[in-house]
Amino acid sequence: MTAGISHLDLLEAEAIHIFREAAAQFRKPVLMYSIGKDSTVLLHLARKAFFPQKPPFPLLHIDTTWKFREMIAFRDKTVRDFGLDLITYSNQDGLDRNVNPFDYSPSVYTDVMKTAALKQALDLHGFDAAFGGARRDEEASRAKERVFSFRAAGHRWDPRKQRPEMWRLLNGRLGAGETVRVFPLSNWTERDVWRYIQREKLDIVPLYLAAERPTIERGGQLLVVDDERMRLLPGEKPLVQSVRFRTLGCYPLTAAVRSMASDLETVVTETLTAKTSERQGRLIDHDESGAMEKKKQEGYF
Amino acid sequence: MSATARLKTNATPAASASLPATIVATPASGFQASRSATSARELNGILRLLTCGSVDDGKSTLIGRLLFDASDLYDDQRATIERSKLAGGSGQPDFSLLVDGLAAEREQGITIDIAWRYFDTEKRRFVVIDSPGHEQYTRNMASGASHADVAIMLVDARSGIKKQTRRHAAILDLVGVRRVVLAVNKMDLVDFDQAKFNAIAADFAALTQRFGFNEAIAIPLSAVHGDNVARRSAHTPWYTGPTLLEHLDSLPSRVSQAGGAFRMPVQTVLRDGLDFRGLAGTVTAGAVCVGDRIVDALSGQSSRVLRIATMGRDLEMARAGQAVAIQLEHDLDIARGAVLSGAGPEPVTATSLDVRFVWLNEAAFDPKAAYLLRTATDLVPIAKLQVDALLDLESLTTRAASDCGMNDIALAHIDLGRASAVDAFGDLPDTGCFMIVDTLTGASVAGGVVTAAHEGALRAAPNHTADAFVLSRERLAGLCADLGDSMADQAERERRAHEVMALFAAAGVAAALKL
Repeated sequence: MTAGISHLDLLEAEAIHIFREAAAQFRKPVLMYSIGKDSTVLLHLARKAFFPQKPPFPLLHIDTTWKFREMIAFRDKTVRDFGLDLITYSNQDGLDRNVNPFDYSPSVYTDVMKTAALKQALDLHGFDAAFGGARRDEEASRAKERVFSFRAAGHRWDPRKQRPEMWRLLNGRLGAGETVRVFPLSNWTERDVWRYIQREKLDIVPLYLAAERPTIERGGQLLVVDDERMRLLPGEKPLVQSVRFRTLGCYPLTAAVRSMASDLETVVTETLTAKTSERQGRLIDHDESGAMEKKKQEGYF
Repeated sequence: MSATARLKTNATPAASASLPATIVATPASGFQASRSATSARELNGILRLLTCGSVDDGKSTLIGRLLFDASDLYDDQRATIERSKLAGGSGQPDFSLLVDGLAAEREQGITIDIAWRYFDTEKRRFVVIDSPGHEQYTRNMASGASHADVAIMLVDARSGIKKQTRRHAAILDLVGVRRVVLAVNKMDLVDFDQAKFNAIAADFAALTQRFGFNEAIAIPLSAVHGDNVARRSAHTPWYTGPTLLEHLDSLPSRVSQAGGAFRMPVQTVLRDGLDFRGLAGTVTAGAVCVGDRIVDALSGQSSRVLRIATMGRDLEMARAGQAVAIQLEHDLDIARGAVLSGAGPEPVTATSLDVRFVWLNEAAFDPKAAYLLRTATDLVPIAKLQVDALLDLESLTTRAASDCGMNDIALAHIDLGRASAVDAFGDLPDTGCFMIVDTLTGASVAGGVVTAAHEGALRAAPNHTADAFVLSRERLAGLCADLGDSMADQAERERRAHEVMALFAAAGVAAALKL
């Protein structure tokens, strides 16, 4: 009987199972590390899956150069503390052409600095599998995602060509030119991620906790001015107030929420009783209807 | 997995009406409160439920209604539903908006893939696996069903059980779903007529008796209006059974029943560079304790459990559902693909298998192609794959065949290129299921279950019917004593023979028909 095995225990065991299957079946896996709370949980589970060994794969961070400074500091500390291998990659062509979140639409910016950068990095290192923290509860097109999500040559995702997955069996045999994205958190919800962070007492980027930060309000969204590169519109004046983030990305594209929750317990309580889903805070998804699905077909994570 | 747990609840309308004695009635309002009540605490287990039905039976609406009435939806999702009242013209909210996903399917107005949804009630996590109703997507339904603890089969109260319902029951049975619920939807369109419901429930009882289900009940409901979904309907005073949610909340999950013999397929071996060598895997059945004797059936080696390691702390015991690393007293040469067992029956060191599978791939089975068998953690070359028969999902009988293509359910025999540790699916599902993999493309071309595993030398006559009980004209002589040789009598003899075959299949007896 399951008495004593909670749903979090089951989700943890499932994720560990997926990590081990992928590590055993793929030649050269990598863990996509985006520094956020999902990556934090993902990394913790990877460490559990291979204990007492270190995870037998490096971390890959796609650096758009527009991440919050606190995210980069957290990333470097995490890698140091756990003795992990980190690869960082930026799309040099995009940087040379000064592709930034102000002069380009969110979809063009994301395509160049994230999607193209990711493809370049995977190709450069010859990774055949990349672990990601995507969850099926995040968005409608992700509700249909497989645990082993196959990408054709060029990293293209074709929803009609995905392999059926049955029972707990995971078939990682690759066809010519194929790579795979592996999603150990497929069956987790946003609330599970928070519950798990709390239960396992995991360190997270301080941006998730409320603090006094300089903010501007734009298009109904609350943005934090993280450095001098933030372009203020006429009449905009940063207002210092207590805010936190439910999701983290590039700072000009990530909206904060007003909150006084400055410790993990309070954040988790606020999140578990939240009234809107998390991707509301991520501007890229509102760009156009069906946005995420289109991005995935083009190779976005 | 207890082999004796196969008792059937033959849900006649009368039987389902008398069920509530065993169901804990939970008021629907309890679910509404779940968001604040669940807060940080952990939920007791996970129940995975599959929904299946035809496109027009209102499947997406039922799931949307479940989510809307009983779960912890966000306000922006609720607002979308409220807005849809204006869009449709009918003034009714469109609950299917919570379920339908891909743009491609929104455009076509049908569900083309499996979608996963999650919601919490007071007690537990529910995972809703929404599978397509179209016949050409049998493969998707089979793959979705393989994850489910319980299936909700949806029918329209105006039309009742269809051919498709029968197909779905056969697929559910094949992949190991042991509990089914018939949701008789759109009861509002038949004025909540008790006689109509009873007739459908009786058909359902007759249908499900043919399979190995542990439990099958029928519930009259209306997804659009919410009758008997999360709240008891005032329109069905004659129905005293549980609401859909009450029933779902009372069911055990599959993993909670994985008792019996211990099994742990080894995924990988972990070392710390010193003296630790841990066999890493997830316990799929039973339990193991420190000090227990462990056997590797493939190599015939055995040792005792020295340590059950996880990061943070060692365990005294590991049981079904837990992912661990086991260190043995003696450092045995065990690698990925091994299946650890304990006291009690070991897995079969099989070189040939009798199997049933669903062909999933668009390219049909090719006798000249090279295939691999993926079991829990082993990947074995298939020396020979011989299709013996196909299951006709409508008549539930088999006919001899040597080919199979997409959406076919085949009975076949597999000779393996080397021995692999497997169990019969009926005894231990997690070590008795497999995928067939195309060696060249890597595609998962079929998913199936082991009905019998054979040890040692390859069989002389790899023919599925060889060890099946043959139902011949002579054996049926008593049952057909009143029949002669006229065309009508021949047809009647055939009908009776197929009925007997179906009963045998339900009892798990392999039989072949030779009239």
